[in-house]
Amino acid sequence: MYRVHSYRQVVVDPSSNREGGVSMARRGVSYAKWGYIFSIPFVVTFLIFSLYPTLYTVVIGFTDLRGLGKTAFKFLSDPFENYKLILANATFKKSLANTAIIWIMNFIPQITLALLLTAWFTTRRFHVKAQGAFKVLIYMPNIITAATIAILFNSLFGYPKGPINDLLIRLGIIEGPRHFHLQKWTAKGVVAFIQFWMWYGNSMIVLIAGVLGIDVTLFEAAEIDGANAPQIFFRITLPRLKTIVLYVLITSMIGGLQMFDIPRLYLLGGPDNATLTSSVFIYNQAFSGSYLYNRASAASMIVFMIIVVLSVALFFIMRDQDEVKLRKERRALKRRGGRV
Amino acid sequence: MKRTMRTVLCMLLVASIAVSLFAAGKAEEAKATRKVINLWSFTDEVPKMIEKFKALNPDFDYEVRSTIIATTDGAYQPALDQALAGGGDNAPDIYCAEAAFVLKYTQGDAAHFAAPYKSLGINVDAKLKEADIAPYTVDIGTNSSGDLVGLGYQATGGAFIYRRSIAKDVWGNDDPAFVTSKVGPGWDRFFAAAEELARKGYAIASGDGDIWHAVEGSSPQGWIVNDKLFIDKTREDFLDMSKMMLEKGYTNDTQDWTDAWFADMKDAGVKKAFGFFGPAWLINYVMAGNSGGDRPGEGTYGDWAVCEPPVGFFWGGTWVIANDKSPVKDAIGKIIEWITLDSSNTGLQYYWANGTLDGPGGTKDTVASGTVMQKSDGTLPFLGGQNMFDVFVPAGAFATGKNKTQYDETINIYWRDQVRNYSNGLKTKAQAIADFKRQVADNLALDI
Amino acid sequence: MKSLKASTVTMKTIIYIVCILLSLLSIFPFWVMIMNATRSTYQIQQSSVALLPGKNLLSNWRILTGKSFNPWVGFFNSMIISIGTTICAVYFSSLTAYALVAYTWRLRSAFFSFIMAVLMIPAQVSGIGFYQFMYRIGWTNSLMPLILPSIAAPAMVFFMRQYLMASLSLDIVASARIDGSGEFRTFNQIVLPIMKPAMATQAIFTFVGSWNNLFIPLILLTRQEKYTMPIMVSLLRGDIYKTEYGSVYLGLTLTVLPLFVIYFILSKYIIAGVALGALKE
Repeated sequence: MYRVHSYRQVVVDPSSNREGGVSMARRGVSYAKWGYIFSIPFVVTFLIFSLYPTLYTVVIGFTDLRGLGKTAFKFLSDPFENYKLILANATFKKSLANTAIIWIMNFIPQITLALLLTAWFTTRRFHVKAQGAFKVLIYMPNIITAATIAILFNSLFGYPKGPINDLLIRLGIIEGPRHFHLQKWTAKGVVAFIQFWMWYGNSMIVLIAGVLGIDVTLFEAAEIDGANAPQIFFRITLPRLKTIVLYVLITSMIGGLQMFDIPRLYLLGGPDNATLTSSVFIYNQAFSGSYLYNRASAASMIVFMIIVVLSVALFFIMRDQDEVKLRKERRALKRRGGRV
Repeated sequence: MKRTMRTVLCMLLVASIAVSLFAAGKAEEAKATRKVINLWSFTDEVPKMIEKFKALNPDFDYEVRSTIIATTDGAYQPALDQALAGGGDNAPDIYCAEAAFVLKYTQGDAAHFAAPYKSLGINVDAKLKEADIAPYTVDIGTNSSGDLVGLGYQATGGAFIYRRSIAKDVWGNDDPAFVTSKVGPGWDRFFAAAEELARKGYAIASGDGDIWHAVEGSSPQGWIVNDKLFIDKTREDFLDMSKMMLEKGYTNDTQDWTDAWFADMKDAGVKKAFGFFGPAWLINYVMAGNSGGDRPGEGTYGDWAVCEPPVGFFWGGTWVIANDKSPVKDAIGKIIEWITLDSSNTGLQYYWANGTLDGPGGTKDTVASGTVMQKSDGTLPFLGGQNMFDVFVPAGAFATGKNKTQYDETINIYWRDQVRNYSNGLKTKAQAIADFKRQVADNLALDI
Repeated sequence: MKSLKASTVTMKTIIYIVCILLSLLSIFPFWVMIMNATRSTYQIQQSSVALLPGKNLLSNWRILTGKSFNPWVGFFNSMIISIGTTICAVYFSSLTAYALVAYTWRLRSAFFSFIMAVLMIPAQVSGIGFYQFMYRIGWTNSLMPLILPSIAAPAMVFFMRQYLMASLSLDIVASARIDGSGEFRTFNQIVLPIMKPAMATQAIFTFVGSWNNLFIPLILLTRQEKYTMPIMVSLLRGDIYKTEYGSVYLGLTLTVLPLFVIYFILSKYIIAGVALGALKE
């Protein structure tokens, strides 16, 4: 009997896929416990494999543990000593600045190109043939190891003999070989370019998927009304893509703040710390000779806080749209009452 | 709700029991006498040596399990450190350390894991004398209590490796004794020779890195003195040396281990490079393959010779260390003695020096034992028939290990970076030194 | 009408040119890598980029297999780890995401925030503690600690949740209940098929990530018979005195080959795919 009730209730609002719809309780049997049960594997695995290491790191940040093979540590009399040291550390501050700069240099071309390609591939009027092949090829850089590509680029820009130098000289663009590895902004640019190259295909695929989710009738109506391609893209596609663009923004930011492989393997964070990112800094603290585990932990925690703050900010911007829509739907539901 | 909570708690309990059972089970594993030797290395050189040892000693019935982790990406040391600290059956019995970080394992933070050679049943003093081991390798391998805990099997004392044809062209004489007097002793004579070479359009070296290894190896004091960062005068002078060489065109401004540096070994650089600084392994493992040929007459093969460098230094090498907690000390004692101190014709060093480890015609190398070197033949067609041991044996005597620290690898990276910035005119000298100190302080927490 | 057509044609030309250039740019490093796998170390050191193949494929292969370890073993181990990781991660993330979407329970939003927080923890934070923990409980030289932790994959849970929220209609779940299906069965037989595109896309990401993973396996697997492919390639690069670049590139190419196969098999989901979010670096 109660099952009939619940069936009716669900049918009332077919678009109840979102959080708002689901929060309608089913009368009678509560399936809530299944939520807990299905989450158990995740929680148990996390507790065993991630919790101990994470707690260990958090705790170490407050101790004097450094050096090799030591397991005994003492809590510092000033628990935040490591944090203060790190925040005052000029190299750390530089690494944060580098991370931000390189990320911006990487992300802006990435999102621009991804949006451009998305526009081209989804505008029906253009009928780009071999779209599938292009998409597959453009996405491919995502599967290569960071290590391979970093080493390849390192030797590409070799000085005084290297493929790029040879090419530029032959084309007459420069007279003598340039020492690319010594120029800070070139190094930053190369790291940003590699990140861009590895991820722009990924962003494009995500955005195209988002566009595919937009109602086709909207496009058809706009075309009948005589809108041209740029108008369609900017007035119809882009506004509806906002949520997805913000998702791309968040995931890219979280990933960008942890940029490690490329900066480290390309020039070890050089020249003169120009490509030193926060993750490479943390790694150096822990492994470059003095084994300063306590400071590495404190630095990790600081970076973590930064990520949290920035993510919350981004989520806040994003949540607004959803909440507004949600509230509207809830009000509409109440007006309609619980009838079929 | 209650039931769910109970189920959840049950599962957590089960999970934790499972984990602890696992841990207990592992700990109880075979504590009985084992016939296994765990060897940790970063190349396959030492494992291959032990295969030869077992072939020579058929009644040595221990199983040798090798763990090889390359030093690229800095992965060898963390793994080795964990294995040493973890102990138990998987811990290494014998482990290798490279020159770049050996001090950590013989005198530094990890030295307490090492077993003194004499506790392995080796008569250290007698054997050292008998084999006439180069002093610098003994210095590096001696811990703070004065016990020998590690020895290298190679001798990596450095020499100056030069091009015969260029010497003839500039001075009319390519004899090693003559060139020795031209490029040294001391840097002043070296740069005077550089000037003569430059006037004829040759670079004396490929890049400043070549000079650096000699400078670093010969400085009276290391990077750390009295627990503080210390910049030795000879090392500080390197800043100006590098700048001067760049300005006067004494080098091709290459960086070691890059394409351009290799190109200079076969005359494919901007100017022909006169020579390289390095130990025997540089000749056999690097230059021979990059000389543009594999027999005299092809490329620069056969056009080289070695002479004494302006200052004595050493570069690279592998030290063999035993674990103090190993239960099979007698066995590993035999192996280590055979590798590092046996100067007979069936000792490893004899095979290594003459390139006969895997049968005739293998790569020759300089070894730590002077005794072995005296009776070995280091003639190389690559060197136009010169016997390289004639030069490398005395070179080993000049090298010193007293100016090394366990942080050298990292500090050198920072130092070379700043030197490059200065010599290319991107910074003032004061700025470069200040930035260098800043980096060392920030990343290594050393006093400056 | 005519100007519209003309402008469309110019646009299309531009589009084709740009796309072809980008495709070339994407393939270029792969091409260089494959070409270098056929050249000798000496040739590579003279000039690191070549557009035409060399003749040293066989000799590079001989060096690769002669280094006293077995590429087949590496391949096998890598396969076990990657497939295991992918299956665990995809299945359990879908399960957890389903829990977040299909049921209302008190701790639900707190749990989701918790997962997002875990997502933001930098990898270095747990890395050091993780392998010290594994050494302490003696769980080294086993493939298990490399597979099991992937059961908790916060990024994937986030992704699956977004996907489910957009594409799962709860009517289906409800009607399955009416038909008498248990919750677990509903998940396995009805919900999972709906998630196929999402699972395929995430499977590629996970497989690639796990296959290329070097650092933790390097530290935990010390016996030769447990090595994975990336470990073997790194061994080739380690010998700074005589790095055999030709074999290194051959090793890298062999390492990437299975990824290509998996990628092309699953790529139709990428083209059509309905991804609504993925974590990147």
